Amino acid sequence: MPQSRALAGALAVALTATAGIVAAKAADEVIIGLEIPLSPPGDPTAGQLIRRGGELAVEYVNTKMGGVAGGKKIALAVEDSQGRTEAGIAGYRRLATEEHAVGVTGFFHSSVNIAVNEVANEIGVPTIATQASAAEITAKHYDIAFRTHAIDPIRVEAFREFVKKKGFKRIAMVAETTDYGIGISDEMEQQTKAAGDKVELMKVTFDHATTDLTPQLLQVKAFKPDLVINIAVGQPLDLMIDQATTLGILPQTAMLISYDAPARPQYWKLHPQDGNGIYFIAYYSPKEKLSDLGDWLVKTYEEKYKEPPIYSSLNGFGDVMILAQAVDQAKSTDPKAVVKALETGTFKSWAAAPVTFPAAKGVYWHNWSPPILVIHYTKPNEDWRQAEVVLEHVGTAPQ
Amino acid sequence: MFSSELLAQTLIAGVMIGVIYALMALGITFIYSIVKMINWAMGEFYMIGSFVQYALVVYLLGPDLWWVAAPLSAATVFLLGMVIEPILIKPMFTQGIERRDDYATVVTIALLLLLRNLATALGGPYQRNPGSDLPTVMIGPLPESGARFAAFLCTLLALALFYLLLKRTWLGLALRAAAQSRIGVETAGIDILRLDQVAFGIGVALAAIAGALLAPVFFVFPTNGVVTTVKGFEIIVIGGLGSIPGALVAGILLGVVESLGTAFISSPYQNAYGFLLVLLILLIRPSGLFGERVRQA
Amino acid sequence: MAALLETAGLSKRFGGLVATNGVDVAIAAGEIRGLIGPNGAGKTTLVNLLTGLYAPDAGDIRLAGESIAGLSPHRIARKGLLRSFQVTRLFGNLSLLDNLLLPYLARGSGAVAEGLARARHFLDLTRLAPLAEAPAKSLSGGQRALLQVVCGFMVPELKCYVLDEPFAGINPVIKDRIIELILADNAERGTTFLIVSHEMTVMRRLCPKITVMIEGRVIAEGTLEEVAARRDVVEAYLGKTLA
Repeated sequence: MPQSRALAGALAVALTATAGIVAAKAADEVIIGLEIPLSPPGDPTAGQLIRRGGELAVEYVNTKMGGVAGGKKIALAVEDSQGRTEAGIAGYRRLATEEHAVGVTGFFHSSVNIAVNEVANEIGVPTIATQASAAEITAKHYDIAFRTHAIDPIRVEAFREFVKKKGFKRIAMVAETTDYGIGISDEMEQQTKAAGDKVELMKVTFDHATTDLTPQLLQVKAFKPDLVINIAVGQPLDLMIDQATTLGILPQTAMLISYDAPARPQYWKLHPQDGNGIYFIAYYSPKEKLSDLGDWLVKTYEEKYKEPPIYSSLNGFGDVMILAQAVDQAKSTDPKAVVKALETGTFKSWAAAPVTFPAAKGVYWHNWSPPILVIHYTKPNEDWRQAEVVLEHVGTAPQ
Repeated sequence: MFSSELLAQTLIAGVMIGVIYALMALGITFIYSIVKMINWAMGEFYMIGSFVQYALVVYLLGPDLWWVAAPLSAATVFLLGMVIEPILIKPMFTQGIERRDDYATVVTIALLLLLRNLATALGGPYQRNPGSDLPTVMIGPLPESGARFAAFLCTLLALALFYLLLKRTWLGLALRAAAQSRIGVETAGIDILRLDQVAFGIGVALAAIAGALLAPVFFVFPTNGVVTTVKGFEIIVIGGLGSIPGALVAGILLGVVESLGTAFISSPYQNAYGFLLVLLILLIRPSGLFGERVRQA
Repeated sequence: MAALLETAGLSKRFGGLVATNGVDVAIAAGEIRGLIGPNGAGKTTLVNLLTGLYAPDAGDIRLAGESIAGLSPHRIARKGLLRSFQVTRLFGNLSLLDNLLLPYLARGSGAVAEGLARARHFLDLTRLAPLAEAPAKSLSGGQRALLQVVCGFMVPELKCYVLDEPFAGINPVIKDRIIELILADNAERGTTFLIVSHEMTVMRRLCPKITVMIEGRVIAEGTLEEVAARRDVVEAYLGKTLA
């Protein structure tokens, strides 16, 4: 008896601790699923930033838009993918079958998104990739697969345009062994070869859960590159900056980071000294003109969090808004009707350009891509909003 | 791409990270040797150690006094462990609980979830860095970041202090005796429950030192203890549960194997080399390199 | 004379098995009492009850008039009631010196120097001094038994010493040495002893009075000759002759 009481107590503590993750829902609410990494080996920072955007979208729909499909309020149901495919699939199943979500978005890790789409293709609740870029997500042409993020070919086109513009000749890619890292580095090798770019490419890969990149970086150093492309997500990205500096690769050699992590407010706190001189990919600059939704979001976000929003929050916001509009246009919470509305409708997101998901060729299927920027920090503690934009690449689907 | 310089550099890098891994394993193995339970929440004490270090360095002491902050962080977590143990662990022995392993697993996993979610709620989404002004040092042919090298040296110091505590003090004598026979020390007149409390405090403080020392290297965030915990458990399988020399030797072995495998075999499988080592040990010596095959009566 | 160690109606059950059933024993201060009985008679259970490893289901235990029933083992030890184990419970990886120091320092004494002096005295007395720094697991079986008995003598406040099978399977030389140690300590400090043993020759030398347990009950008490003359005792030993 004392044993069972103690065990019950322990379980109660554990359940209370996790209770915050799934928000309570009222009857008759339209549920939008958010599947984001909230713990390692996922990128928990990204997950929480996407969630902030999603929560503000709920606020916008329920207060400014007056609900959807005849005044119904919307609510989020959140699942932690942990950046792992098994957790991701389990989370999607819960959202689709228990929470009866009209759609699931927030996807950040490509591996998770790819695995979930296989299940989603059977269950029928649509997914929108928020910040997952592997080709396979849309290249399989599943009816339920949508994306509002830069895809590998477009990102790699931007890499190559950047390499050409700066005249780099020896390029080392340090890539994690995930669908993201392998997808981008393979695409880079293929495009470079097909186009006959006059560069020497070297690729070294690492496990995403690593704590030491010294062995990889020693090989990179021996290669004597003039550009290192940092294709890591989350903690190893930061580890690579620090260890490359220690080994004397930075700052002499340029480093390009494959996504917009350096725009996060934590960047200069993590890299007060060695963060300068970095180039990074971004999908949004405050210098762009935004939609009225985008303007509302930036203003509300800054009031609430006392810092400017970055792309993760913007796109998290946009994707929840898109799903809400799809329900509104379909006048139904039936997933089939929502898929149909996503395919045929036109939606407003944070960017000025309207969002559509045409049934285009190859990887461009059901895909809307923001423009890709390369940003360059030239002084320590520089505000990314003021930093130099080295290039802006607009990818278009081949017709 | 073989060269003797690359080999030397890789070896050194392996030993450095291995010693740091060992500290984590040491805390788990030490608590097990006394309290006979596996603390699954060890990574969370690592995390708390790193947060306390961050708070002390950023708000109170400044990056130059990191070496003052680290023992303070460990002391804070020691006290926290001393508070938690009587509430969660002690009932295992006083409440007539029969399936102690199950109890300990459930209770420490509950603790893990509680601490992690608490930290996420309080800490916000961003990673933090207490910063370090230590310059890069050359260890033979390998340049190493000042913070990582300092963590390595301080780990050695912490290991030496821990060794002295065990070998040269009365408390150490009692702890060494308790590791061999709980009933033996009880009937000799020692309050074993009190000893459990102290041992739990020391064990979690070892994890906290690792967290504090590595704060500028691996940064500070609610789930930063996860990877080191996994390494800790790998080391325990390799070195043998309950063996302190085993933790040190296995830590270095794991670091070197991962490092060499990555540099000279194939880089993407860095963590797989550790698991291969674990599997190999399980096949040829399931009790670990230093584990005793039969426990003494 | 008032009893130093006394039990009243002491009972312990394990599931359906009654290991001790209403045991009443009274041992006078300074007495050396023997406890015999066939295997499974409940002797070790009684020892475990006396020293706090088991909590009694019923009955009371008094040490110098004060109830100690249900106290934890370390509290009982601190009150001066110590024990040895049937299976020697030495700390195999600790040195002989550390094994001896442990019970001395466990009292909360910080006097390490005095403890060391006392330990060295006993190591000399038992001729184990050359092995002082060796791990206890390197000792022979007899030497271990000897060392374990001495561990209790390390405690200055020792009032009552319960020895569970201290002579099992050891050679006559060491047996004699243990007997001498017991008699010397009893004479010098007036320590009370309760000795569980099957060695009847030793019991005759050491114990003026013997308690016999069978199936969890005390069935006889008296000199060895008296109890050996009793038919029920002999039957219980199934024909085993009492020397």
